[in-house]
Amino acid sequence: MTTLPPPGDGAAPPATPAAPPAADAATTTPPPPLAPPTESVIDTRNERLDDGINRCPKCGATEIQLRPKAGMLVCLFCRHEWSEARLDETIANGDLTALPGTTVGSGAAASAADAGSVITLKCGGCAAEVVVNTAEQMGARCHWCRHVLTVNEQIPNGAVPDAVLPFKVTHDAAVKMISEFAGKRRLFADRAFVRDFTPGNVVGVYMPYMVVDAKASADVVGVGEIETRQYQRGTGDNKTTVYDADVYRVERHVDFTADDLTIEASSERAKIDTSVNTNNIINTILPFDTENAVKWNASYLTGYTSEKRDQEVATTTPELERQLLTIARAQVAASVEQYDRGVRWERERLEVHGTRWVAMYLPVWLYSYYHEHKGKKMVHYIAVNGRTGEVMGSVPVSTPRLVGAAVAAGTVIEGIVLAAMGAF
Amino acid sequence: MIAALLAAESNVPGWLLVAGPAGGGGVYFGLWRYYRNTHRSHAFETESRIAAQSVTGTDEKFDEVTGTRQSNIDNGNHTNHRQRLERFQ
Repeated sequence: MTTLPPPGDGAAPPATPAAPPAADAATTTPPPPLAPPTESVIDTRNERLDDGINRCPKCGATEIQLRPKAGMLVCLFCRHEWSEARLDETIANGDLTALPGTTVGSGAAASAADAGSVITLKCGGCAAEVVVNTAEQMGARCHWCRHVLTVNEQIPNGAVPDAVLPFKVTHDAAVKMISEFAGKRRLFADRAFVRDFTPGNVVGVYMPYMVVDAKASADVVGVGEIETRQYQRGTGDNKTTVYDADVYRVERHVDFTADDLTIEASSERAKIDTSVNTNNIINTILPFDTENAVKWNASYLTGYTSEKRDQEVATTTPELERQLLTIARAQVAASVEQYDRGVRWERERLEVHGTRWVAMYLPVWLYSYYHEHKGKKMVHYIAVNGRTGEVMGSVPVSTPRLVGAAVAAGTVIEGIVLAAMGAF
Repeated sequence: MIAALLAAESNVPGWLLVAGPAGGGGVYFGLWRYYRNTHRSHAFETESRIAAQSVTGTDEKFDEVTGTRQSNIDNGNHTNHRQRLERFQ
């Protein structure tokens, strides 16, 4: 990975093909805007579909839903199966090293300030008007003629994304996974949680994300130390180990591309603070195989709930920056292994050359449990990645049981120590 | 009291007496983390598809430290990739 030679004696620093600027030219806060101001838009609309009635291409029925095991849409009348095209096959998705400026999918565009969640669909069967709250669902059944109506046209409220990644893990499989996860944590779990545990209540949710490709460069500057001598000072019981070390000014530069970074596009889900919520659980089950996402068709959501995107390119850019800088630091880590006393990075720089943003619904099986303890309220999640089956969860603990286990363990350890003392 | 006397009369170091409370605390903390998983998050820095070119840079010796009792550099953060630093242009 690194082309760096080991540090020498300091007399002749190695060549610097792309070294960061000198230290005295630095320190400007805040950093400049990440992305170039110009934005180009990729049209990801599914022009074959409209708002309202969308029929089976074979028999014309509107009873269409996802068959997770096959990843296909199935007509519940004639059993015809089909799927939408993969998004990657329908848009230019080539060499990331040539990403120009900022490109945004039409489904990831900024929401209009006055765009609400509730829209009205006109039924193509009987002309009735049916109301759909796109904050929670993307379709409804006409209460007069029973046709299924779906929302497929991109509207400026963030409800229709560029693509959807269909569920692959079935409800039964998710129930089993969640049961196993909670079963392993039964002994010290809160008793009310154990009593109320109903894994059948798991809900399939399409969560909104921004999936971002990026081309970037980063620089980090800091200080590294290499131990040159280790020896003892003092006599008898006052002996201490001391060290001598060489101190280096260390600078690193890396150019890289990142493919399909996945960033929460729901402001509620993006707030990850483990002292007040368990949103980190949903974050942990990432990543998804986003390269298999297909063009939008609301029928993939039939039988599932969805959460509307309320974050945009501008509001998720700081998180993208944070991820790119973290990736850069991870990439340069191997090049400073020779500093056996460690490195203290002090300053960093990021330059983003190009980004491509696509809004996506990703599938999550979610079991939630509301827990209140000593006035502190928290919703605990157990989440299953609807594609890979990765499970993570937060189970409320029984404090008395945990304290009992700690006291028992401490007593046993102390007993062993006392026995050892008695033996000497 | 008994333990302190035992420690005084034996060759075992007295600090071993805190092993019990420390072990109990460790069990509590370990179990709590196993249940709550508050330390978990998506490891995007290792789980994403990253294509990086060769790392370049400089290493220049500018000082020496002698006789320090610290076995590691002050505030070393080369493994804490998520710690954000001062930005420069």
